[in-house]
This record gives sequence, C-alpha cells and structure tokens, in this order.
Amino acid sequence: MKTTARFTRGLRIAALVLFVAGIGLWAAAGAHVGWTQTSTVTLQRDEITGIDFPVRRAALVPGVEFPLAATLAAAALAGLSLLPRPNRAAALP
Amino acid sequence: MKNQILTSVRFLSVLAASAGFAVAAPLAFDFKDPKGVNNVQFKLDAPLESITGTATGISGTVTFDPAAPAATSGRIVLDAASLTVGNPLMGEHLRSDQWLDVARHPTIVFEAVALQNIRPQGAQILADVTGRLTVKGVTRDLTAPVTLTYLADKLGARVNDPKVKGDLLVLRTNFVINRSDFGIKAGQVTDKVAESIELSLSIAGAAPRS
Repeated sequence: MKTTARFTRGLRIAALVLFVAGIGLWAAAGAHVGWTQTSTVTLQRDEITGIDFPVRRAALVPGVEFPLAATLAAAALAGLSLLPRPNRAAALP
Repeated sequence: MKNQILTSVRFLSVLAASAGFAVAAPLAFDFKDPKGVNNVQFKLDAPLESITGTATGISGTVTFDPAAPAATSGRIVLDAASLTVGNPLMGEHLRSDQWLDVARHPTIVFEAVALQNIRPQGAQILADVTGRLTVKGVTRDLTAPVTLTYLADKLGARVNDPKVKGDLLVLRTNFVINRSDFGIKAGQVTDKVAESIELSLSIAGAAPRS
C-alpha cells in the first residue's frame, strides 16, 4: 500500500517537474511562438556595397513543440498516476 | 561670329560624346561572390509563423554600360541547394521533390532581357527589369523593379587589395511570385503555406580591369 502511494506521488512529481521544465525552458529562451529553429540569422552590412547580408549561426531556439511536448508528457504521467493499481496485500492469502 | 561659336560648341559636343563612347564600353560583371555577401531572402506566410529563409549560392554575369543602362542584360543563377531555413526539417521538405525538387532542378535562373522605365536617382539607377525566371523547370516572364548602383573603381576596396582595379555593380530587387505558377504544390496546402513568395535579392558583381 505504501509502495503504491509512493509510486503515485513520484509520477505526479515527475509530471509537474516535466511540465515546469518544458514551459520554463521555452520561456527562458524567449517564448518563440513558432517551430523550433536550430540556427538564427543576423543581418550585417557590407561597407563597400552597402548590401545587408544574413549571417547564419547555429543556435537552438525552442519552438512551440517544447511546451506542447512537455504538457503532453506531463499529462500522460499524471494520467498514469490516476490509474487504479492492484492491491497486493488484499491478494495475499 | 555666332556661327563660329555654334560650330565650336558642336565640335566639342561630338568630341565629348566620342570620348564618352571610348571610355564607357559595356562591362561584364561576375556575380560569383567569394565573400558570401550576395544573398536572396524569401518569405512565405504560414499560420503559426512566416517561413523565412536565405540563400547565398549565387553566380552569373551581367553586362552593364554606365553610359547606356538600357542595354543591360545578363543571367543570375541561384544554387537551389543553398536555400536555408532555421528549421532543418522544414529545409528538407523545401528541397524535397514535393516542393522545389532540388535534385532534379538544382538551379533557379533569372535571365534579364530588357531594362525599362529607367530613372537615375543620385548614384543609383531605378528601373524595371524584364526577364525570364525559371524555378523547378518552369519558365515564366517577369518584370520587377530593380535598383542598380554602379561603383567605379571600388573593387580593390572590396577585396582589400588596392592593386586590384575594377568596378562593382550592385543590384537590388524585391518582388513576389506565386508558387502555383512554377508548379510548386499548385493549389495545395494553401491553408498551411501561402501561395505568394516574397523575394528580396541583393547582389554585387565585379568587373576587374587589367
């Protein structure tokens, strides 16, 4: 009985941590309301020609997949914790 | 006396014009850019966010005569594989046979045929360029506004070598095409990706002198 309660609580804590971490990471990285980017572009100006040209740098910009995946995973864990578990003590002779 | 002055003025005019012709011959500008500055930027509207990307694989040649810009002609080639977006999966889709089919159509080509409506504005020349744009093997006639900036004797400064002599020609244009016109998922997924593609081209070509 104790083990089952501990397991349920563990699942719920894991769900909360996952949810907070997913949302937190996304928010901390600028809450980009778009798809995840693995590179970003900054514009620089060529002095002689005056052309503004893009410079692409590798950078992870978490998109909406992050909070979405975190929410779904957290919901799955929380849902799992609500499932009825067999009572082993009652099953013993 | 008056006739003599008029004759002298005419003679000087002819002389000046001749000198002009002697100096201003058409120049061939090579748009292969080792500095990677030449670029195309594109944008398509989409529900979640606009799809924006860049491309730098540009080459081609434009013939330009500072004294006769109307005679400008040339061909600009974009390596379709150099099209890049921030999301790698989106980039794969973009280059796949579903969209641009880069494997079968590795280049996007614009061939300039004529320059019209020429309006000099300071050091720049504003005009409308007419030509043929080929995307994914489909060629369409196109007219777009273009700005030409002729930078005489600036090649040395650009390559950081004063011994190198030559001129630069900067071309800038912004125009919109419809992907359906070029057989890019014609009439499909319009709820996810807009029909129109905004293109912005900024390129510089070099004409070295010996």
